[in-house]
Amino acid sequence: MNEHLTEADISAWVMGDRSNTHVTECAECRIEVAAMEAALLEFRASAHELAAGQTPVVRVAEPRPWWPQLALAAAAVALLLAIPAWQRAERERVAKQEAADTALLRQVDAEVSRAVPGPMEPLVSLVSWDGSNTQ
Amino acid sequence: MEMTLEAEQARTATDFESVVREHWPRVFRFILVSLRDRNDAESLTQDCFLKAYQAWGRFRGEASVSTWLMRIAVNQLRDHARNRRLQFWKRTRTNSDQFNDFHDIPAGVSPEASPEKRAAAKQQVRAVWKAAASLPEQQRTVFLLRFVEDLDLLEIAAVTGLKEGTVKAHLFRALQAVRARMSEAYE
Repeated sequence: MNEHLTEADISAWVMGDRSNTHVTECAECRIEVAAMEAALLEFRASAHELAAGQTPVVRVAEPRPWWPQLALAAAAVALLLAIPAWQRAERERVAKQEAADTALLRQVDAEVSRAVPGPMEPLVSLVSWDGSNTQ
Repeated sequence: MEMTLEAEQARTATDFESVVREHWPRVFRFILVSLRDRNDAESLTQDCFLKAYQAWGRFRGEASVSTWLMRIAVNQLRDHARNRRLQFWKRTRTNSDQFNDFHDIPAGVSPEASPEKRAAAKQQVRAVWKAAASLPEQQRTVFLLRFVEDLDLLEIAAVTGLKEGTVKAHLFRALQAVRARMSEAYE
C-alpha cells in the first residue's frame, strides 16, 4: 500500500485530480477526503441558505418618452429667441416714455415761464408795463 | 417591421428585467459571501446590475449572461475592496451588518440530523467560513466561485480574467488554507 495522502494530495483530490489511486485502497484516507468534501458541501449549503429569499431590490426604469425632453428644449430655444425681442420692445417703450416725459416737462416749463395766463397774452402786447398805452 | 427607438428601449428593458430576476440570486449570494455584509452586498449587487443595464445594449453574447454578470460582480468587488482600503475609517463603523463572528451562519446540514452531527457540522462550516474570510482576495474569489457557485476552472478563468493555471494555483492554496483552519478547529 502507498503512503497516506498528504494535505496537498487531499486538496488535489478535492479539486478533481483523481490520479492518486491510494484513496481507493485506503479507508482512512477515503474518510479524510470524504470529510473534506462534506465540509465544502455544507459550506455551500450554508452560503445558499444565508442568501436565500433575497429578492431583487432594483427595478429597471422604463425608458422615458422623448417628447417632454424635446418640448423642454424647444421652450428653452423659444425663450432664448424671445429675450432680444423683449429687450428691444422694452427699450422702445422706455424711449417713448422718456420722449413723452420730456415733452410734458417742456410744456410745464413753458407754462411756468409765462407772465400771464395764456388767454391774456394778447392783452400784454397792447399794454406796456410802465402804464403807457402802446397804441 | 422597423422598430421605433422607444419600442426598442422598452424591449431592452423588458429583456433586462428577466435577466435581473434570473441572475440576481447568484450575483447577490456571491457578493454576500465575499463581503459577509448584507447591506454592502445589497448595495453592490444593485451597482452591479446598474452597470450591466448600462452596458446591456453593447452585450454581444461572446460569454454567457451569467459569466458576464459574474465578471462585473468580481470587478465591483475589487473596486469595493480598493475603496475600503482607502477609506480605512469605514471599517470602524459600529452599525455594520457584517457577520464576522460567524455565530449566525447557517449550519448547512439537514434539520433531521442528530444534535451531535449538527454541532460538528456547524463547527466545520464555521471553520470554512473563517478560512474563506482570511484568504487573500483572489484566492477567496476563486474558492467561492468553485465551492459556492459550482463553476469549473475554465468558467472561473473566464469570470476572473485569470489563466486556467493561475486559477488552479489559487484554488490549491485556498484549499490548503481551509484544511489548515479545519485542523485548528479540531485541535
